[in-house]
Amino acid sequence: MKTIVSIRRKALAASEEHAEELRGRFAESGTLVLNLISSPGSGKTTLLETTVGRLAERYRIAVIEGDVATERDADRIRALGVPAHQVLTGGACHLDARQIETALETADLLPADILFIENVGNLICPTTYDLGEDFKVVLLSVTEGDDKPLKYPAIFSRADVTVITKADLLPYVPFDLDAVLEHVKSLNPSGTIVIVSSTTGDGVDEWCDLLVERLGSKRES
Amino acid sequence: MHEMGIAIEIYRTCREAVREHGQGRLQRVRIAIGELSAVEPDLIRFGWEAVIVDGPDAGAELEIDWCKADQRCPRCNESKDRSEGSWLRICPDCGTPLEVRGGDELDVLEVTFETDDDAAPP
Ligand SMILES: Nc1nc2c(ncn2[C@@H]2O[C@H](COP(=O)(O)OP(=O)(O)OP(=O)(O)O)[C@@H](O)[C@H]2O)c(=O)[nH]1
Ligand SMILES: [Mg+2]
Ligand SMILES: [Zn+2]
Ligand SMILES: [Zn+2]
Repeated sequence: MKTIVSIRRKALAASEEHAEELRGRFAESGTLVLNLISSPGSGKTTLLETTVGRLAERYRIAVIEGDVATERDADRIRALGVPAHQVLTGGACHLDARQIETALETADLLPADILFIENVGNLICPTTYDLGEDFKVVLLSVTEGDDKPLKYPAIFSRADVTVITKADLLPYVPFDLDAVLEHVKSLNPSGTIVIVSSTTGDGVDEWCDLLVERLGSKRES
Repeated sequence: MHEMGIAIEIYRTCREAVREHGQGRLQRVRIAIGELSAVEPDLIRFGWEAVIVDGPDAGAELEIDWCKADQRCPRCNESKDRSEGSWLRICPDCGTPLEVRGGDELDVLEVTFETDDDAAPP
């Protein structure tokens, strides 16, 4: 016998159910959750170190690090006295909501005011997987070239916030900042763009203000 | 890699749907992929073949509906026919941000399965 079943269901339904559960949990604990996505080496962990330096006295911060191998990034965060859990994906190029659940069970990360999830360095597939975050942040370092928003449009159009990093290197590399700002705007008209240098601290206040403001509006609603 | 992981999830979703409605062997699956989903239909097809090849559902057909986004300019008050798959969300005529509807589909629409004659009824 042949049976035809019409379902209209998200192909990633299983994973998305977990993401929704996580979102509920984060709403309960009043935690602002960011999913940080970028190419390898564009300065995610360094920006987190800088951010922790600015905010950890006033806010409870926790970090989940996703990497293919090594505890290096989590160690860098722990060295600052902030709880961090390392997810080792063993080859997989993105984090999945189920790994975030496991991280929360394994490590004492909640309650926290802000939870940063540093995704595996990759501009492509982390875009597709919901981790229960409030919003995605895409980082683009000026040394990667100014063509990246047009070449990887999906992440730039889905991330609420674009952070241009390593701005201190702008004088040394050919990077047309105005063109990048225009491309990001046309991919994502309602998004926010921040320009930072973790090395000099330029723009870091603006970035931290944005976090505090988003945390405030999450708690109000 | 990306599409492989998604193919595995699609397969899981289909299996789950079969389980909810009875039991049997997958024959045909229809899915929707949007042009803005960042998922490549050909790679999903390869992934699908790889996922089912050695299992009980080997040979199950995968049909893909390709869904275009509706990109509308609120100022010109009309749909803008941008080039296929363009992610730019600014009206080519007046520069206003476009309202984008759909195009991000990644859905399982329909699952067809065959019950063995001797299998227990659902
Ligand atoms: N000049 C300059 N270098 C920076 C800045 N931020 C980070 N770097 C350097 O960039 C390199 C990579 O930084 P990370 O923070 O480890 O990058 P990441 O994105 O976490 O890398 P993965 O986790 O491996 O994907 C390091 O050598 C940093 O010192 C910056 O603002 N300016
Ligand atoms: Mg890192
Ligand atoms: Zn991946
Ligand atoms: Zn227009």
